[in-house]
Amino acid sequence: MGELRTSLEVIAPTVEEAIAKGAAELHLPQEALEIEVLDEGSKGLFGLGTRQARVRLTVRTPAAEGAAPQVEQAPAAAGLSEEDSDALRVARETVSELLQRMGYETRVTAQWGEPSQPGGVRPLLVDVRGNDLSTLIGRRGETLAALQYITRLIVGKELRRPAAVVIDVEGYRERRERQLRRLARRMAEQAIESGRTMTLEPMPANERRIIHIELRDNPQVTTESVGEGDRRKVTIIPRSE
Amino acid sequence: MKGLIEFIAKSLVDDPTEVRVTEHARRGHVRLELHVAEEDMGRVIGRNGRVANAMRALLRVVAAREGVKASLDIL
Repeated sequence: MGELRTSLEVIAPTVEEAIAKGAAELHLPQEALEIEVLDEGSKGLFGLGTRQARVRLTVRTPAAEGAAPQVEQAPAAAGLSEEDSDALRVARETVSELLQRMGYETRVTAQWGEPSQPGGVRPLLVDVRGNDLSTLIGRRGETLAALQYITRLIVGKELRRPAAVVIDVEGYRERRERQLRRLARRMAEQAIESGRTMTLEPMPANERRIIHIELRDNPQVTTESVGEGDRRKVTIIPRSE
Repeated sequence: MKGLIEFIAKSLVDDPTEVRVTEHARRGHVRLELHVAEEDMGRVIGRNGRVANAMRALLRVVAAREGVKASLDIL
């Protein structure tokens, strides 16, 4: 599992540009790619209703070569059941469609992640790349959270089961996680030094979780979330001897 | 903006044929009105308005990029 990035969806003004862009992204010649035109795009009437072209590029694998005719659907990444690759496709297409309608030019890929705890739900990781996507993240990730929430609903409805879609934009989640871990350690030190409880800014559940986990093994503090809804925040409490 | 809301609403409701979005622009303010079938109201509003607010959050970003204000009413 993990490195199953064999398929890429690209949006550009024309089909040709989309293919060239995708090939460059994958560092592969166009001959090594299976090309599926998802949307030829449209110039619209008098500049109204223009739509960008959308293509899906799939890296040709030796197994897929020769055997399967080209018209067939992009081959499922190795070892994925039809259901699993279907879920990836739905997640990727939903996010692409939303972003296109929001006017962003992006590249969207999807893959299955590992459950955060043994026996947990496998997340559907959707990665969004492009230029100038900071507005898509928003203050404290608010816009990204809204996009993810709506995507989960749409994908869940389509698949007829809940979908644990996690969207990342330009590596934001990873950066944010590092930042939060640092913050957690620093605030823990302050709590220990001052002997007082430190209260962090309100955070969404996934961010609070990062703080709790980071300090779980610190014998000198305990952590606890307090407050309701949007105001819920983590407190770091020094342990008394 | 209309296209975005239309896509989201149609993807969430049971009866997409009843989804209508109208857009009124006036002096830098774009007002969107979303109509769905009675039975689908809950799906586009959500518990505590969570779905509606998520749609508004996305709308805000698009509007800001276009230099306008936007609002969404669900009728």
